[in-house]
Amino acid sequence: MIKIGKTTINPTKIVCLGRNYLDHIKETNAPVPTEPVFFVKTLNTLITDNEPIIYPKILYESEKYNRVDHEVELAFIIFQTCKNVSAEVAFDYIQGYTIFLDLTARSMQKSDRNINLPWYRSKNFDSFGPIGPRILPCSEISDPHNLSIQLKVNGATRQFSNTKHMLFKIPQILEYLSKYVTLKRGDIIATGTPSGIGPIQPGDILEASIEKIGTITHEVILERD
Amino acid sequence: MKIGELEINPSKIICIGTNYMDHIEETKLEVPKEPVLFPKTLNCLIPNGAPIIYPQWIFNNRKYNRVDYEVELAFIIKDKCKYVKANKAYDHILGYTIFNDITARKIQVKDIASRLPWFRSKAFDTFGPIGPTIVSHSEISDPHNLKIELRVNGVVKQSSNTKHLLFKIPQLFENISKFFTMEPGDIVATGTPSGIGPIKPGDLIEASIEKIGTLSNKVVLEEVVS
Repeated sequence: MIKIGKTTINPTKIVCLGRNYLDHIKETNAPVPTEPVFFVKTLNTLITDNEPIIYPKILYESEKYNRVDHEVELAFIIFQTCKNVSAEVAFDYIQGYTIFLDLTARSMQKSDRNINLPWYRSKNFDSFGPIGPRILPCSEISDPHNLSIQLKVNGATRQFSNTKHMLFKIPQILEYLSKYVTLKRGDIIATGTPSGIGPIQPGDILEASIEKIGTITHEVILERD
Repeated sequence: MKIGELEINPSKIICIGTNYMDHIEETKLEVPKEPVLFPKTLNCLIPNGAPIIYPQWIFNNRKYNRVDYEVELAFIIKDKCKYVKANKAYDHILGYTIFNDITARKIQVKDIASRLPWFRSKAFDTFGPIGPTIVSHSEISDPHNLKIELRVNGVVKQSSNTKHLLFKIPQLFENISKFFTMEPGDIVATGTPSGIGPIKPGDLIEASIEKIGTLSNKVVLEEVVS
C-alpha cells in the first residue's frame, strides 16, 4: 500500500518501458525497438514525494558501479483487473497519471547487459522508484500525449521533453502488455524516459515535473551503515 | 496466496538464473561470478492442482511456440530484512517449497540475444506454479541435499540434487539482501538443473523435491473468447 497524494493504491507490480523516446534511444545508442521493451521494478523501490533517495553504499564505494542515473517518466495506474485489452478501450482501464522516477545504477546495468544478463538488480535498489505527487484522474487530462516533462538537478534542467515524443503510446502499451500479464488495480506502468539522463550524487535535489500533474522533489542521501 | 496450510502474501518473486552446473552446460551460458537475478511478477503464481494456461497466441506463433518447465527449490522469507549475512540466512527463512519457473523459451532466447530484459518470457499468467506445502527449515535440516525431479506425463525429464547448486542458499540470501529489502512471504527460487524441455497442452507436469512433496499441474490451452 502506498499513498500518492490523497489516493492510496495497492500495486502488485511495476512494469516499465525501456527505449520509448527516440531522443533517449539515440543517446544510449540502442536500436529502435519494433515492440515495446518491458522490464519490472519491484515494490521495494517505491518512495513518495519528499522522501530521500538512498544512494547505496555498495555502489558509491565501487569504482566499477558508482554511477546512478535519473530518468523521469509519465506513469499510469491501472483502474481494474484486465487482460487482453484492446487499444481502443485502453483508457477505460486507467485510473490516472502520475510522475515516476526510474532510478538506475547505470554502470551496473551496462555491465550486466554486456554479458546478456537480466536488467534486474541495477533497477531495484530500495528507494529507486520515487512516485507522486498525486494521481491525476483520466478525466482531468484530455491528452496524455501532449504534456511537457522535465527533470531538474539542483535547479538545473537536465531532461526536457514532451510526452508526444513517446514511440509507443499508452493505448498500444496497454494492449501489448496485457497480452502477456493480467494487470491488477493499482499496478503501475511507467512509459519510458526522454533524453538527458545523467548521474546523481549524494546531496543533490531532484525535481521531476510533468505538466498538469505537478512536481516530485527528492534529496539524494548516501546510505549510512 | 495459500500454499498448503500456510497463507503467504509475497511482494516479489526473485529467481536465480544459471545456478546448476549441468544446466549451465546445456544452455551454453557462462558460469556466473555472482548470482544472476531476475523477477517474476505475482500474476504468475498458481497453487498445486491449478492449470498452467498455455497462451493461445504463443501456441499459434511458430516463432515463439516453445514453453519450458523448470523445477526449482524455493525458499520463503520469514521477516523483513536487509543486509543479511550468510551465517544468519536461515534465521530469516520461513521454509521451503517447490517452484516451477515456466518460461517461453523462444521469446527468452530472442530477448537475451538482443540484450533485452527477461520479463515477458517469464511473466505470463500461471507461469509460476508453487507448492504443495511449505516445509520449515527444521524439518529439512540440509536444503543442499535433496533430490529434485520433474516428470512430464510420468516420464522423468529433470533429475538432480540440490547439492549441485552453484550458489548455496546462505550466499544467495546475502547477495540478494545487499540489493533489496526482503519482505515476509517473498519468494526466492534457486534455479533449475539440466533437462529443461517443452510442455504442450494436455501434459501433466509433476515437480518433486525430497521431503517437500510433489507439485502437479496440467497444461491447458488458453481459451480466447472473441
